[in-house]
Amino acid sequence: MPLMTAPTDVLPREETEQLRDLAVPYVLIVWNDPVNLMSYVSYVFRSHFGYSKAKADALMLEVHEQGRSVVASGPLEKIESDVAAMHAFGLWATFTRADGA
Amino acid sequence: MAKAFKNTPRGLSCHLEKAERELLRGLFNDVVTILEPDQPAAGADTDPLWALTGMDPAAHAVPAAAPRDGAELRLLPDAIRDDDGAALEFRRLTERGLRETKTAALRGAALALESPTVVLDEAAAVRFAAALNDVRLVLAQRLGVETEEDAERVHAVEDWSAAETVDEYLALVYNFTTWLQESLMQALADTL
Repeated sequence: MPLMTAPTDVLPREETEQLRDLAVPYVLIVWNDPVNLMSYVSYVFRSHFGYSKAKADALMLEVHEQGRSVVASGPLEKIESDVAAMHAFGLWATFTRADGA
Repeated sequence: MAKAFKNTPRGLSCHLEKAERELLRGLFNDVVTILEPDQPAAGADTDPLWALTGMDPAAHAVPAAAPRDGAELRLLPDAIRDDDGAALEFRRLTERGLRETKTAALRGAALALESPTVVLDEAAAVRFAAALNDVRLVLAQRLGVETEEDAERVHAVEDWSAAETVDEYLALVYNFTTWLQESLMQALADTL
């Protein structure tokens, strides 16, 4: 008997990201402090979030120069776990509803 | 003299003198002490059943408030601004795990200092960097580093032979840990 497999229905990535963005209720904010090294903050953003070096450096510089940066967004459970991870790394992070940021 | 971290085929490696390793080990252990949950006063009110088990009833207690000590609060910061109730609720869910994660990294970092040549695999190096960072957060809090200007003032202290006050000594220790962490981050950045 031939095996029949239905083709997998895959949405293009851009589209799923847009859909997710529309439903995003929470954001993770990292605050500037004069202790954490720029190289360390950038490494944490790259290793924890999988960001490129360019993106991680841009976010790190935004924290440093603007005093804060929205580093990630997503559903509450994900953001809560990201905040706990940032605290484990010693970064000064908080989270809030995206519409209250 | 300490030699900076390098990315070698065996792992991330640096060389530290005995006195430097003893200093770092002491610092890691100091932060472990800060992270130990507050113990209720031992004495007559100790539940005899708990005493029989040999376990610590406070080990499972949830925090009733944010830490009052500045250094402890910097290690375990509020996750939500301008809402103490919500921040405390999050703390109840996460603070114990956070204390355990940090304590494990600090103990691991102290153990890694057994020999003059410290060699760490990538995962251990990341935990070592986090442990060094926690040490620096505590030292910075004790030194009153709150602004970039404060950081520059501390950074300018560089002469060990001229150190006379506790703050000057702490500043030198802070600058040493900063240098070591920076060298580790440069070596680690090559691994990503």
